[in-house]
Amino acid sequence: MNLAIVLVTAAVLALAVISSVAVSRSLQTSRGGAGLAPTIRPIDVEAFRNLINPAEDDYLRRRLPPGQFRVVRRERLRAMAAYVQVASSNAGVLVRVGEAALASGDPRIAGAAHALVNDALLLRRNATVALARIYLALAWPNSGFAAVRVVDRYERLSGAAMLLGRLQNPAVPVRLSALL
Amino acid sequence: MLQAHSLLWHYLWVAPNLLLLILAAILWRRKLYKKFPVFLVFAVVIPIEQLTVYITDIIPAVQPIAWWHVFWAGLLVEALIKFALIGEIFGAVFGLYPSVAKPGKFLISAVGVALVLLSSVAAAYTPKDNIYWIVSGAHVLEQTIYMIECGLILFLFVFAAYFKLHWSRPAFGITLGLGISACVHLATWALMANGNFSAQYRNRLDFLNMATYHACVLIWFYYLLVPQKNVPKPKDPPPPEHDLTVWNQELERLLHQ
Repeated sequence: MNLAIVLVTAAVLALAVISSVAVSRSLQTSRGGAGLAPTIRPIDVEAFRNLINPAEDDYLRRRLPPGQFRVVRRERLRAMAAYVQVASSNAGVLVRVGEAALASGDPRIAGAAHALVNDALLLRRNATVALARIYLALAWPNSGFAAVRVVDRYERLSGAAMLLGRLQNPAVPVRLSALL
Repeated sequence: MLQAHSLLWHYLWVAPNLLLLILAAILWRRKLYKKFPVFLVFAVVIPIEQLTVYITDIIPAVQPIAWWHVFWAGLLVEALIKFALIGEIFGAVFGLYPSVAKPGKFLISAVGVALVLLSSVAAAYTPKDNIYWIVSGAHVLEQTIYMIECGLILFLFVFAAYFKLHWSRPAFGITLGLGISACVHLATWALMANGNFSAQYRNRLDFLNMATYHACVLIWFYYLLVPQKNVPKPKDPPPPEHDLTVWNQELERLLHQ
């Protein structure tokens, strides 16, 4: 009977998740793709690049006593995680912006939207892996870490967003580029 | 009312299957099956299988052992088609984007293997609820199949939600129906396979299963045949000029490094 209770609980939880997804999807459908762009938060990519620079870490390691280095390194890792989370969240918004543009009758817009969604999904995937590595590095601050791929992907994503913005609204060509 | 062979029992066993066959015919005539050919197979084979089990149930000449053989065969066919349908939905939702299709395939395979192992452990711990193995085995097999199905469908929903991917209306409707049916059937078969309940209580669980299946068939009708309302989409306001300039300066700097 204990097994039955476990399985019934699992089934109820699964049903709750599926119902919540259904409700959120119907809310999204009724809103369309509108109102998404302003939810994108700008990121200082230069500051992020500085944070993940291994040379900076090496310099700090040489200059600081081991205990203090670990404290500083953890602070930097936390800041890095915050940046990656924002990049991942922005990528999620761009997936929805791109998907809203996929239905466009213009094949150029649809192509640019498809490229944007694909790049945004790749960034989100890389951000997930990068976050996992950052949290692991928080446990072992002396270990090496590189999140360069997330930055590179973010730059590519901004290019794809710019292209879609230009195609959708040639009069205001920089509108989407500003979103990142 | 909630008795086997009552009018409601006959209705709940026959009506959803006839409705699903009608849906299959409409999908065929409107050529709507092209994106989801496995769902068309599902909508044809499952009702035929269910109605065969129903007919063998009501014909007095059919021996109980023969009925259970038909039930087992139907169960295995149903499981194969459902797993093929889950694969088709996965392809429809994630297949367009190589960046998630590849890791998604790996993850869904891993989840599938984990679910097979988990359900095997659950089956091993499930007590025999009948002296005949063909009866208790069928209950355990139902529990096993619904555990795997429920887990895979949950994975599809969670994976798509994590990546903020949009479901097409037909894909969402098919998966929603399958998901609701899998969750309710998992709960009821887990109770039937593991609980020592009276025949009356088991009848009620049967009714719950049949009513859920009926509701799911109606969900498929709604999502596959009723077109989506076109909501006018207001344009996004332009972002603040300050942000725009700052970001473009940053980009320029990065590009010239």
